[in-house]
Amino acid sequence: MIVVATMAISANATDYRVEKPEAWTAKDVPSAMKALYGNITPQEGAIKLKAPKVASNGGAIPVSVKTDIPAKSIAIFQDANPEATVAVFAMQEGQVADVALKIKMKKSGTITVVVEGKDGKFYSKSFSLEVALGGCEG
Amino acid sequence: MALMATATMANATATMTPTKVKMKIKAKEKNGIVKAKVAISHNMLTYDQAKKKGKEANFITHITATVGDKVVYDASTSQFLSKNPLIKFAFAGKKGDKIKITYTQLKGEVFFATKKIK
Repeated sequence: MIVVATMAISANATDYRVEKPEAWTAKDVPSAMKALYGNITPQEGAIKLKAPKVASNGGAIPVSVKTDIPAKSIAIFQDANPEATVAVFAMQEGQVADVALKIKMKKSGTITVVVEGKDGKFYSKSFSLEVALGGCEG
Repeated sequence: MALMATATMANATATMTPTKVKMKIKAKEKNGIVKAKVAISHNMLTYDQAKKKGKEANFITHITATVGDKVVYDASTSQFLSKNPLIKFAFAGKKGDKIKITYTQLKGEVFFATKKIK
């Protein structure tokens, strides 16, 4: 089974909210990326980032991320909201790098995913979408 | 690793004991991989929304899933997850085990729910 390649070998016990506070107040994607991972230059990676091209409801946009890259963490950013960081997944032992969640975006913009590989390298993928009805209206 | 995870949660629980809540948890095992889908009831009030409503912002900041002592999912989250967030993830596991979903919100209160993996 190919599953072995996608599973994290060791756990990541980082609570990114506690350990990287500036990542959660950074307003743009490059600053958020830097606050979270330092001065990195991610390369375009084999990451499947899926989201609707046109989100009818900006308050609930389904986003899914899948990758075979052995990952230590996966971070999701976007440039449509007052702050750039949406979520950071600390990959656990036995976890498959396949996560999905629903997010809010105030307006049309670009979602950027960064995968922190266990090889110490960073990989990214972006996806631009249109938002029909802004997501922070309440 | 599990010790560190529980230590982080212990800091959160210092303020309040974890409260059991209802969550829609679907966890199904196939060929050794459990696919989980969790719907948490939470209004996820952003700072902007809170200001408009004259309320305090309140949203989930951390979600973990554990099977016994083992952490199988760990997400640090922002105010930008949807209201009543829906999350999906997958991990190596087996039918019959119990999965526990725990989340912490902005002020530190902790909530959890459990479900048997089918």
